Amino acid sequence: MNPITTPEWVLKVDGLGKVFGPFTDESIAKTGSDRGTSKDPTTGSIVAAWDVSFEVAAGEALGVVGESGSGKSTVMRCIAGDQSTSVGSVHLRTIDGGNTNILHMSASARRQLRIDQIAVVYQDPAEGLDLRVTAGGNIAAPLTAAGLRNFGAIRHRASELLSRTEVPLNRMDDVVRSFSGGMRQRVQLAKALANRPPIVLLDEPTTGLDASVAAGVLDLIRGLLEEFGLAAVVVSHDFSVIEMLTTRCIVMNHGRVVESALTDQLLEDPHHPYSQKLVSAARS
Amino acid sequence: MTTLLNQLLDETVGDTSDVPFALLDEYSKREIRRAILTAVAVPGYQVPFGSREMPVARGWGSGGLQVTLGVVGPLDTIKVIDQGDDQGVNAVNLRRLIVSSTGIPETTVAAESTIVQTRHRIPEDGLDTEHILVLQVPVPEPLRGVERDMRELARMHAEADYSKMWVSLYEDRVRNGVITQSTGYPCLVNGRYVIATTPIPRWDIPKLDNAPFLSLFGAGREKRIYAVPPHTKVEPLTFDDVPFEVEQTPGATCFRCTSSMSFLVEIPGPVSRWVCSDTDWCERHEGGLK
Amino acid sequence: MTKKFDPNMVLDVRKLYKEFILHTVDGRTVEALNGISLTVSAGEHVALAGTSGAGKSSLLKSIYRTYKPTSGEVWFQLLDGTFVDLVGLTDAELATLRGTQIGYVSQFLRAAPRRSTLEIVTKSGMQRGMDISTAREAAAVALKKLNLDEALWDVSASVLSGGEKQRINLAAGTISPPRLLLLDEPVSALDPSNREAALELIDTLTHQGVAVLAVFHDIEAMERLATRVVVLQHGVVGYEGSPQQTLAKLAGVAR
Repeated sequence: MNPITTPEWVLKVDGLGKVFGPFTDESIAKTGSDRGTSKDPTTGSIVAAWDVSFEVAAGEALGVVGESGSGKSTVMRCIAGDQSTSVGSVHLRTIDGGNTNILHMSASARRQLRIDQIAVVYQDPAEGLDLRVTAGGNIAAPLTAAGLRNFGAIRHRASELLSRTEVPLNRMDDVVRSFSGGMRQRVQLAKALANRPPIVLLDEPTTGLDASVAAGVLDLIRGLLEEFGLAAVVVSHDFSVIEMLTTRCIVMNHGRVVESALTDQLLEDPHHPYSQKLVSAARS
Repeated sequence: MTTLLNQLLDETVGDTSDVPFALLDEYSKREIRRAILTAVAVPGYQVPFGSREMPVARGWGSGGLQVTLGVVGPLDTIKVIDQGDDQGVNAVNLRRLIVSSTGIPETTVAAESTIVQTRHRIPEDGLDTEHILVLQVPVPEPLRGVERDMRELARMHAEADYSKMWVSLYEDRVRNGVITQSTGYPCLVNGRYVIATTPIPRWDIPKLDNAPFLSLFGAGREKRIYAVPPHTKVEPLTFDDVPFEVEQTPGATCFRCTSSMSFLVEIPGPVSRWVCSDTDWCERHEGGLK
Repeated sequence: MTKKFDPNMVLDVRKLYKEFILHTVDGRTVEALNGISLTVSAGEHVALAGTSGAGKSSLLKSIYRTYKPTSGEVWFQLLDGTFVDLVGLTDAELATLRGTQIGYVSQFLRAAPRRSTLEIVTKSGMQRGMDISTAREAAAVALKKLNLDEALWDVSASVLSGGEKQRINLAAGTISPPRLLLLDEPVSALDPSNREAALELIDTLTHQGVAVLAVFHDIEAMERLATRVVVLQHGVVGYEGSPQQTLAKLAGVAR
């Protein structure tokens, strides 16, 4: 019945929910965007995210927009496995053809996914890198985790990735602690792409960087997403980031998705009152 | 009633003098043996055990001693070395302790022994299918240099996630041109667990691979026992394209036996002199005979 | 509801409404489109005319889903002949169409800081299904047609002038003839000779069978390119006809 073939999803999230503390159906009903809170008045539990669903295809970037506390980072951490999830499912096309809910996999199996299926770029590069280790060494980590045992090949691949992320090669053997924020972020990107994962999650990738530095990093990310045909989820409160990187996005408020739209449509014709507030604040 | 009890005790414990055979009571021996069996069943896995108070201070071979005392029987012959030397103070004391509590014979010739307890060296030759090599281990955790958190260490071994180790080898190579670890080189046992090979020199590492003898590693202070069963693969961790090299000093020969085929240690002095670390081996080869 | 479609029709807009509800201003509503119906066939160039605020840009955006229509239907004929209602498509489906069958050229170029001119146009070709070398060749052809100096092809588009950016936009939007081309003031920043080249290009597309719906402020351009002019008034179609008829009427009304 569908004459338009859209590329099939590589990442599918269905009814994802995360609650901190005990909860009942009532807790859910008493929280959310309409209620203006994520906190259940009865139990004090926090409904950090509830009923979040979306699909991302290869070569596509989906934005998750919201202010801090909206639940956007929680969603990302649940998918990444950094956080346990309360309800819902996450499917990867590359795992069992998309039939397995990875949330039901063991913690160690989830960790395996982080080697070459799901890469994460954190807002703070220190979270994704070992600052005491060299740039090349940080990239050696995922490569060796994937079984690469040849020193020359590791060096070669690391230098390829570093030059692709525009880190000067003469700094490859410098300890990451000595790098500026923007440069650290580039190393984080290089490391994330080391094993060519199909899915990349980016959490506020340029927040905290100087504007000029941020622009360069964003442009780099955009180029990489295209070149590697990655399925990306970009979490940000910054609309310029969302605009630059994504074609579709969802808006989150108090843990719920309040709007889902094409990015240019969200920016020019936001519907939900909260989205309008966010967009007009960004525009001013 | 008491007679029956005494009889039973006699049967189980045997020697009713104050000091049981091999110092340890039967329950201690049982626990150590169970730990050893687990260690042998899972090569390279560090088995926790209740390390007892021993007449040697912690850090002086109490773990190795407990292992030896756990496996020794009346038909064994013991050899004890420290850095290859049977006459090292530590070796002498340990041997005296073992012999006095078991009554078994001692020897310096590895081939004539059945159990060899050692600190930091493996005998150059003589170990065979009938031997148990007991190594004294100060730090059983090979990943200690790259990770401090105990739960994380347990996870890394459980999931065979040794990437932090590989990164440190990479960094070493980058910084120094070679992998500089000289003693206690980390090895992969049976393709599964990485072990600390106690501070034995690189020279001795190849002896562990596919050895005819059983190697048991005892760490008293850290309370761990691990094992490399006979004919088990032991591979030093290195990159495919960075060969594992053993120590060599070109031109060095033992001033006593003229050998260049054994592990040599340097004697400090105005002129550089070298001598075999394995004293027994040196004595048997004095004059250059092999 | 009869879904009878003229096979020549590429675009069939039926009673399209667009209302904005401004929650940030106590829920005030703004009507942009008040029930527009119009059609565009293959090879037709329909020009939208009317005073500013009449709904011209809003209509283009509502078709492209930069604005989400409030109600109505926008029937679009796919390349394979099937008709789909753009309003009912999912975002993913619409995004797919945007890259391939529906082109949109506005006066604004949102260029990534370091993308070169050639890259931008080539990328657009690749989105339309071309492989990288074909796309690059087609990009070169399009840029040449629009008089964009080769010296600028490797330059980052963001440092170029408004007129140069506009031509890049045009090249990217037309690199391979889409089924439907939406144009919003595509030549406003061009000087006479470049404007000429651009209009040439657009004209060629119509002859190649592209359905074009355009907004031009420029009467001359409208006269030259349009096969039909639709005049919008307050978000509805006021009247339509041939360029000569309607523009004469418009001129009369303006006075």
